[in-house]
Amino acid sequence: MIGGLFIYNHKGEVLISRVYRDDIGRNAVDAFRVNVIHARQQVRSPVTNIARTSFFHVKRSNIWLAAVTKQNVNAAMVFEFLYKMCDVMAAYFGKISEENIKNNFVLIYELLDEILDFGYPQNSETGALKTFITQQGIKSQTKEEQSQITSQVTGQIGWRREGIKYRRNELFLDVLESVNLLMSPQGQVLSAHVSGRVVMKSYLSGMPECKFGMNDKIVIEKQGKGTADETSKRCLRQESCGKQSIAIDDCTFHQCVRLSKFDSERSISFIPPDGEFELMRYRTTKDIILPFRVIPLVREVGRTKLEVKVVIKSNFKPSLLAQKIEVRIPTPLNTSGVQVICMKGKAKYKASENAIVWKIKRMAGMKESQISAEIELLPTNDKKKWARPPISMNFEVPFAPSGLKVRYLKVFEPKLNYSDHDVIKWVRYIGRSGIYETRC
Amino acid sequence: MPYLGSEDVVKELKKALCNPHIQADRLRYRNVIQRVIRYMTQGLDMSGVFMEMVKASATVDIVQKKLVYLYMCTYAPLKPDLALLAINTLCKDCSDPNPMVRGLALRSMCSLRMPGVQEYIQQPILNGLRDKASYVRRVAVLGCAKMHNLHGDSEVDGALVNELYSLLRDQDPIVVVNCLRSLEEILKQEGGVVINKPIAHHLLNRMSKLDQWGQAEVLNFLLRYQPRSEEELFDILNLLDSFLKSSSPGVVMGATKLFLILAKMFPHVQTDVLVRVKGPLLAACSSESRELCFVALCHVRQILHSLPGHFSSHYKKFFCSYSEPHYIKLQKVEVLCELVNDENVQQVLEELRGYCTDVSADFAQAAIFAIGAEKREQRGDKKSLGDCCQVSPTKILHCRCAATKRVPHIWLPCGIARTYTDQCVQILTELLGLRQEHITTVVVQTFRDLVWLCPQCTEAVCQALPGCEENIQDSEGKQALIWLLGVHGERIPNAPYVLEDFVENVKSETFPAVKMELLTALLRLFLSRPAECQDMLGRLLYYCIEEEKDMAVRDRGLFYYRLLLVGIDEVKRILCSPKSDPTLGLLEDPAERPVNSWASDFNTLVPVYGKAHWATISKCQGAERCDPELPKTSSFAASGPLIPEENKERVQELPDSGALMLVPNRQLTADYFEKTWLSLKVAHQQVLPWRGEFHPDTLQMALQVVNIQTIAMSRAGSRPWKAYLSAQDDTGCLFLTELLLEPGNSEMQISVKQNEARTETLNSFISVLETVIGTIEEIKS
Repeated sequence: MIGGLFIYNHKGEVLISRVYRDDIGRNAVDAFRVNVIHARQQVRSPVTNIARTSFFHVKRSNIWLAAVTKQNVNAAMVFEFLYKMCDVMAAYFGKISEENIKNNFVLIYELLDEILDFGYPQNSETGALKTFITQQGIKSQTKEEQSQITSQVTGQIGWRREGIKYRRNELFLDVLESVNLLMSPQGQVLSAHVSGRVVMKSYLSGMPECKFGMNDKIVIEKQGKGTADETSKRCLRQESCGKQSIAIDDCTFHQCVRLSKFDSERSISFIPPDGEFELMRYRTTKDIILPFRVIPLVREVGRTKLEVKVVIKSNFKPSLLAQKIEVRIPTPLNTSGVQVICMKGKAKYKASENAIVWKIKRMAGMKESQISAEIELLPTNDKKKWARPPISMNFEVPFAPSGLKVRYLKVFEPKLNYSDHDVIKWVRYIGRSGIYETRC
Repeated sequence: MPYLGSEDVVKELKKALCNPHIQADRLRYRNVIQRVIRYMTQGLDMSGVFMEMVKASATVDIVQKKLVYLYMCTYAPLKPDLALLAINTLCKDCSDPNPMVRGLALRSMCSLRMPGVQEYIQQPILNGLRDKASYVRRVAVLGCAKMHNLHGDSEVDGALVNELYSLLRDQDPIVVVNCLRSLEEILKQEGGVVINKPIAHHLLNRMSKLDQWGQAEVLNFLLRYQPRSEEELFDILNLLDSFLKSSSPGVVMGATKLFLILAKMFPHVQTDVLVRVKGPLLAACSSESRELCFVALCHVRQILHSLPGHFSSHYKKFFCSYSEPHYIKLQKVEVLCELVNDENVQQVLEELRGYCTDVSADFAQAAIFAIGAEKREQRGDKKSLGDCCQVSPTKILHCRCAATKRVPHIWLPCGIARTYTDQCVQILTELLGLRQEHITTVVVQTFRDLVWLCPQCTEAVCQALPGCEENIQDSEGKQALIWLLGVHGERIPNAPYVLEDFVENVKSETFPAVKMELLTALLRLFLSRPAECQDMLGRLLYYCIEEEKDMAVRDRGLFYYRLLLVGIDEVKRILCSPKSDPTLGLLEDPAERPVNSWASDFNTLVPVYGKAHWATISKCQGAERCDPELPKTSSFAASGPLIPEENKERVQELPDSGALMLVPNRQLTADYFEKTWLSLKVAHQQVLPWRGEFHPDTLQMALQVVNIQTIAMSRAGSRPWKAYLSAQDDTGCLFLTELLLEPGNSEMQISVKQNEARTETLNSFISVLETVIGTIEEIKS
């Protein structure tokens, strides 16, 4: 259980403080500020014990959220709760920043009142919470809304209320992936993985039953077995399709997915919550399409000069465009001047960040671009060798680096008369860089 | 920030709240109330406007109501008489047609922490339990726990408990979970909520309907359930199987723990479970949520203690990324050095070498220690082997015990260097070439420990040493270097000259420990290379005896001087201790700890803090609980600064001066004991972890020390093993105890009976007993 929840700005001023249990006093607020926020060295651990009280904190931009307890609790659960809290707040007012928190101060207290009672997590689904939060305030409740509260909390399905109606039945599927890479200077992949999410936004009437299909290797092989028994045929099929199916290392689903069906038939069927939710989260490590290769070349010319050449190669279909490309090339601390020449985009030396930042707005697939820089160094008597931090990259590509494809999403609603064909469906793939580093 | 001058602010707000114009304008009124809450958040004392705020609670505006209730919950303990005025409004709201208003009012009313409120809230809570809106029921159920908390440790209301038990069958999943939580708190004295077969099965069936918080909570409560048969056990495990793959890491860990505990008799099931949660755990370890990642890594380390090779094939997952926070990197390095095997040693070492030159000196040092395979407790002091083996070989063992007692798990020799010495020494030697102060000092310390544990690398280390003295400034590093020069000086050609430099500069040396080390080392070197050392040894002894101000150093100098007077043979006998002890680490390491030894700690804070640190935390908590004088809020006492050390000291001395004083030599006859035992009811029952064999005499002796007498005891090794103990405190209260070890069970069951029912003394008695048994358990392992 959580004894109290505090939100601070980066200076350590308290923006929100809510205490749920007697054993947490006002001094706990100050203890965290003094021992963690104002601590001289960097954060040692996200869990801090001060005078037998445990403080769990997460940071969002420059805001600190801290949950406080004296009990021996499950650390994973507390952090999950803090993440959930952040999500809920973000759903109400967008980015978690000092200004937003100050402006939505009443709302946050309202939320804290509903989400936790006596330190125990209660209802935390954003959709379900909307009924209890009077964000704008004055609006008094109609009879209909009152009955909704009752039906919402007595209904069989906790995540969806009955009687939802839309003129247009629409759904949006986003496949959001973040691709992580750690590459050695020789171009060897040290580790690479994709963590992806399938986010669904549904505006569907009634209690629709949905079925989701993707190019999961196990499912496709199963189906292959079903249609053609001969192994030769299956081999042919796979060869002709190329890399059509992907191997998912592990995946987890929203509460609404019937896990028993997934385990037995590997089919994903569910009644979706209304609005936006995360249907699935997965991770792959095999056959990842790495959208970019970074080839670094660093040459030390004497003691006061450094020549850096970095080539980036895009490795996807020429018809696709990558966006928001940013390459960050670290420079030594004693850099005195930098000359940069790049063929594409803009590059700038940022002395405050000790890095050359090279930005390219758009880049098509199968292209190559290069930057060369001459770095002049101040002579120092510091014998410390420059540690050469890795070159990191940010980008956004319009495909899924794991190779995941949505094969179908079928909607059935037996009671209302609309069929699968009437639903307007949108699918979008976005691949972003997670930690994408090449050592040099 | 208006921390100062709060009186003016209060006055101004008071005026505004009373202003009829503002009261008439709903928005302006609410704005003023908001300002009050804002100041309250910042820590200003706003209790001055309590009266006005109570008036503001009589409104139809729900937002305003919520704000005022929040205010009242904070300040009610300070103004109990005024708070009573608000009760009327609250009671009225409790019968509002809108369930939301009812719930809100009931919740706020139960949260008013002030004496005397119980009589007002009892009826509304009872009504709330039967409310048709589940929203209100949820609130009411937790309200029961709040009400009980207000009462203090008064008697439990049986009717209410029964009502709560029946509400476990409620339709609404959150009501069910809240019932469990509430019962747990109300029945804390009696060991918490009872999970019998029907309840357990009911909960199991409802699991999939609960949200993640509920699932995690229920999994935790199910730990208490003991299936009657093997068949039932496996049915339960099958039913819970899907939760091992839940999308919430907390639920996954909760389920893992439940599996490990339920299957404690089936090691193969446990291993199987750990194999199956590998995927989810690895996913959590590489997730973007760093804090969760940290927690997962802590648990991975826990698992590795029992199954060393468990994650070996995934070692690349634990490579650090440049932008990761410090705490994750440190955990990953620890995990990496436990994963090493013949196949990946090259890659892992290569990776670790990369970390050694990291910009963060802390992280670099951690990586170097990792290569040297010296697992050091992060918070512990760096007491190391070298210090312990200065004087005589017979004392080594003694010192070691002393050192380990302070900081358990200093050395974990299953590390890399023991098995792959050559590669490690080579990497470390290369690091010396960087001539960086912070690196050199740690490398030399690692060398010292390596030479002690793995004598085969002595030659290589001796070749690497010359030249490092220029790059060492700190005390730890200097000590390590001097120790190496003293013990292995005959193999290092320029050893006397390096030591000579230290002797020359001894006057400006700031650390006494370095001077002590220098004395010992020089004397040792004198034994093997007398010609080169005689002169400077004389100078050093002269300085230490005549000019040194530090008494310990002076005494050491005098001691050596007198020793030399006795004769060189005597010096040799005392100083020439063995130069290495490869068995040392092996002795320390209980190879692979069984899963059951940590299963109960899984998914708690223990793996996060580390066992040793947790022990100190919980010990203090225990002491605090025992002592009734200590007010609940004392740890955050209003005025004093929050310094953990100070508190610790205060709490530690409490048990001595506190309530319990056991009378020595109070021997009961066996007959009298039996009669009393049969006539009393069990006041407290508890289970402590216990494994393996031990000697009953040790236990008896240990109990004697704390004035607990042994009446009767089974012979060692017999199963079930029983012991009967008695003790009496200074007020004449008798404590009769039974210890029971069931065959095949890894737990010791303790039942205590008391002839006068007094919970405080009972608690302190039990904590004494726990300490004794815990100590025995420690000695044993």
